[in-house]
Amino acid sequence: MPYLGGEDTVRELRRALSNPNVQSDQLRYRNTILKVIRAMSQGVDVSGLFSDMVKACATVDIVQKKLVYVFLCSYAALNPELSLLVINTLRKDCQDPNPMVRSLALRNMTNLRLPSLMEYVEQPLTAGLRDRAACVRRVAVLGWAKLHNLQPNSEIDAAVVNELYSLLRDPDPVVMVNCLRALEEILKEEGGIAINKPITHHLLNRLSDVWGQCEVLRILQRYRPQSEDELFDILSLLDASLVSPHPQVMAATLSLFLSLCSGLPAVSLAALERVRGPLLAACGSVSRELRFTALCHIQLLLRSLPGLMGAHYKRFFCGYAEPAYIKQRKMQVLVELVNDDNVTMLLDELKGYCTDVNTDTAQAAISAIGRIGRSYSDRCLEILTGLLALKQEHITSAVVQTMRDLVWVCPQCSDTVCLALEGCEETLQDSQGRQALLWLLGVYGEQVSSAPYTLEVFIDGVRSEVSLGVKMELLTTTMRLFLCRPAETQDMLGRLLHYCIEEEPDMCVRDQALLYYRLLHCGIEETQKVLQGRRSDPSLGVLIGRPSEPISQWACSFNTLEPLRQGTVETDSTSRGSPEHVTFEPKPNTDLSDTLNFSLTLLLFLGDEKMEEDYMCLEEQIQFPAIPHCSPQSLQAAMQLVNIQTLAFTPPHTLPWRVYLYTHTQHAGDSPHITLILGELLYTGEANQRAVLKKALKGFLSILTTVLHTLSSERK
Amino acid sequence: SIKSKTFILLYMITTSTSDVDMAEIDHFMPLLMQHEEEGLLCPVLSHGSVHFMWIKHSNLYLVATTNKNANASLVYSFLYKLVEIVKIQSYTEPPQIRPMSILEEESIQDNFVVVYELLDELMDFGFPQTTDSKILQEYITQEGTKLEVAKSKVPTTVTNAVSWRSEGIKYKKNEVFIDVIESINVLVNANGSVMSSDIVGSIKLKTMLSGMPELRLGLNDRVLFALTGRDKGKTVVMEDVKFHQCVRLSRFESDRTISFIPPDGESELMSYRINTHVKPLIWIESVIEKFSHSRVEIMVKAKGQFKKQSVANNVEVRVPVPSDADSPKFKTSTGNAKYVPEKNLVVWTIKSFPGGKEFLMRAHFGLPSVEKDELEGKPPITVKFEIPYFTVSGIQVRYMKIIEKSGYQALPWVRYITQSGDYQLRTNV
Repeated sequence: MPYLGGEDTVRELRRALSNPNVQSDQLRYRNTILKVIRAMSQGVDVSGLFSDMVKACATVDIVQKKLVYVFLCSYAALNPELSLLVINTLRKDCQDPNPMVRSLALRNMTNLRLPSLMEYVEQPLTAGLRDRAACVRRVAVLGWAKLHNLQPNSEIDAAVVNELYSLLRDPDPVVMVNCLRALEEILKEEGGIAINKPITHHLLNRLSDVWGQCEVLRILQRYRPQSEDELFDILSLLDASLVSPHPQVMAATLSLFLSLCSGLPAVSLAALERVRGPLLAACGSVSRELRFTALCHIQLLLRSLPGLMGAHYKRFFCGYAEPAYIKQRKMQVLVELVNDDNVTMLLDELKGYCTDVNTDTAQAAISAIGRIGRSYSDRCLEILTGLLALKQEHITSAVVQTMRDLVWVCPQCSDTVCLALEGCEETLQDSQGRQALLWLLGVYGEQVSSAPYTLEVFIDGVRSEVSLGVKMELLTTTMRLFLCRPAETQDMLGRLLHYCIEEEPDMCVRDQALLYYRLLHCGIEETQKVLQGRRSDPSLGVLIGRPSEPISQWACSFNTLEPLRQGTVETDSTSRGSPEHVTFEPKPNTDLSDTLNFSLTLLLFLGDEKMEEDYMCLEEQIQFPAIPHCSPQSLQAAMQLVNIQTLAFTPPHTLPWRVYLYTHTQHAGDSPHITLILGELLYTGEANQRAVLKKALKGFLSILTTVLHTLSSERK
Repeated sequence: SIKSKTFILLYMITTSTSDVDMAEIDHFMPLLMQHEEEGLLCPVLSHGSVHFMWIKHSNLYLVATTNKNANASLVYSFLYKLVEIVKIQSYTEPPQIRPMSILEEESIQDNFVVVYELLDELMDFGFPQTTDSKILQEYITQEGTKLEVAKSKVPTTVTNAVSWRSEGIKYKKNEVFIDVIESINVLVNANGSVMSSDIVGSIKLKTMLSGMPELRLGLNDRVLFALTGRDKGKTVVMEDVKFHQCVRLSRFESDRTISFIPPDGESELMSYRINTHVKPLIWIESVIEKFSHSRVEIMVKAKGQFKKQSVANNVEVRVPVPSDADSPKFKTSTGNAKYVPEKNLVVWTIKSFPGGKEFLMRAHFGLPSVEKDELEGKPPITVKFEIPYFTVSGIQVRYMKIIEKSGYQALPWVRYITQSGDYQLRTNV
């Protein structure tokens, strides 16, 4: 962006810089340079002053030196030849008696980032490694890393590497840690610094400042202790930093702990108990970002130890001024913590959030209540029904959707839900909410006395309806209602079908209407068979109290950005159990669509055929030897060990016993893609055999494809 | 505009600087605005393979960019440390330069040289280096100082064994000021039950001592037991106890003495948090009645639930009112009530509030006959206060021993103060 008067400024500055009177007066000279830097930081292009600034570099004034270096480092890449002129001054400064000047020169020499200067830099850097002053050694050590980074293919002298290894024993802790960092960079190709037993123990005994500590702990994750005794020695050394008041140290320590104890689940669990205090403290941190980070990590821990925070649920109550992203995470945590003792308090609190000014927060609160409703349906329905009385558009929409999800899992709630539905069509505006209402009217039409009237309003307005989803849902609902209340519905069904077949521009709606029309010709019994499927799926017992996952499931993403970026994928996918809904309605719920988008990226990229091809060859590779009879629980546990998660399963002892499974690939290298693999496992009983039914898989897959397509088209 | 583009760029890449292009930061602001609009704001934003981790401080965004799966708490802690350091350092600037007690865009522009210098020392090649503000102070060449001084000054701590204190400090009068400050955080729900409460305490020092003094601080046993987590039956459990790096932790672990060589000037010796049920020191009962299209009636009763001998100073009770309220009328049994329309608050100020006393404030507002459409939140009542000579936890300084090899006599001064932290009482309206 051009800066107004930029050229004038530069011209004026050049005149001042080259003015001998200014140059001879050090204070004036420095002030002029100050003006250059100020202009630079305001976005003016002052690169034209490069040669004048190079001259200003030769000075005894350290303030001026610093200023000039700031300038030179910013523009050196544009003026490689002129930069050569600075090198002499810099090399001379490296001999200065003042260690501050030496370190300054050395640091800026490496910050110029010019490959052409490399040959001049190596000698001062080598000398810097042996400097008396720690501040010079710190800079020199990192200088080698920068040098290597600049020319990754060039060989670094083995003597330098050896020197760096020996500097790991430097008395200055920052020099030591910088050595680690430099060696990691230089030896990147070989997999980083070689960590052996003496180095490990040396580093562990010299854990110093907060930042360095995190670095050391991270690098030590590569070390494997040689014996159990050694392992426990290391663990006891780490114990103090496990409860460190600095969240970053605590997190880095726990991460190392978990990687060291991957074979000792009991020890890992004990470590999780240990960090409860510090984690809770971090949840109360003044910084909201740290609070958010702590919350996201608590969510990980809860996957393996659901009871970890049960007694501390009040710590997850939201403050009025907290940002929405924290409130939503807190609610996700609260849902996990619910039990008989705290359910009243917890629901009371969540109820308060339902009227939050932020609509996303309000809707998240409502869906959280719905989740709790799976275990405490009466209390939750009472709250949800009460919310409808507020007649707020976004609240009503979220409540109706939540009720639909709840009814699918707990059909015993249907009576209450049907009573509550009366009259809420007036408040509903958005398509997702209206779709949910239509679905409920279709499935439970005989229980809602006003259902035909509500439908009539929809049908009368179908001409001006914009949402495809609503139109398709409306067709299905009218058909369903016709089946149970033909007298009241026949006329409007006729009108709807007529409109959809004759006038509707969208092919999908027209085709669906034609299908229903022809279906009706086949007779009412056939129609019933097609349309009156299951109205709920209690047999698809969605895992409510999730079984605790093994720690290895999430240990690798602990203390990274991952938990902050993704919602809890597993939590959401288990809660969205019903294939019926997802076929027709992409849920508006943001975290679901995010989830799918996130974990199914590769599928979306690939397109249909490729995906199916991939899937089919995968299927062919799977071998199914006869597995001796085992309980669903043990099967599930065994699957989890190989990172296969259960989405939903039928209750044990029912036949055929079905399990929906999924798994996804880990991050491979820098590739951001994650492939999600889904499958259905069918257990027919008698013969102790398991088989993956191609048909079922395809069905399952096609449902997902539909969702994905709808989602991706909606996104555009 | 140029102004909104003033960023501090930080490179927090764990292995190398060159991996993230400088220009990437240009994506940050649009990304932030887009997410804000969609209500999906989050402390981590991503553009392609680059992640932006940001904090907001007054009108400044501090952004760290990385393309690695970085340690999130480390990055955020560093950003906050940065704010803290820049604030402290600029505070020591000569008076003609505006002190940066508030870090904001203007103060950065006024002090950009110091900021450049600090960033240079704080971080090298994307790695945090020295973050101790006492040490940093010595590296920073100050604007107004004379040339000769700037040139010849060699930082004494560079090679020092005690990195947080320079040698050769001299004072005419040797004194230590100890401040014990406790903040109370309370959340009370609309029906008057305390949802959560905790105490955040800190012991601050202002050291004006010559040489290399050796200090020993004695706290009362009750607190010490709590600190070490022993004797869990009787005492409250302290969590999150932090000591300044100068405290010899091994010594504390073994015999519970807090011994240290103090940093010169102001520093925080320790901080702690006690998660316990505290009786809210100032209890508020409120009745807020809203008669749509006509008026709002507010009645607030404040009660001092602390010892009669103590007095709370500068008490401020902030009561939310609807944003469309007008024509305020007040009646108070003591103190002053004032309407702050830009914050939609009534602020009731009581200069001195003795323990055990009860005061009343009534307010009346008119409401327009045409109601606003948008939904308003339910902001809580907040309270601010300060009670000197008193700590809620009962922490007490028993002694402070000061030993220096020259053998001078030094005086320790102790002050206690309890103040409100995040003190919220939810209302029904």
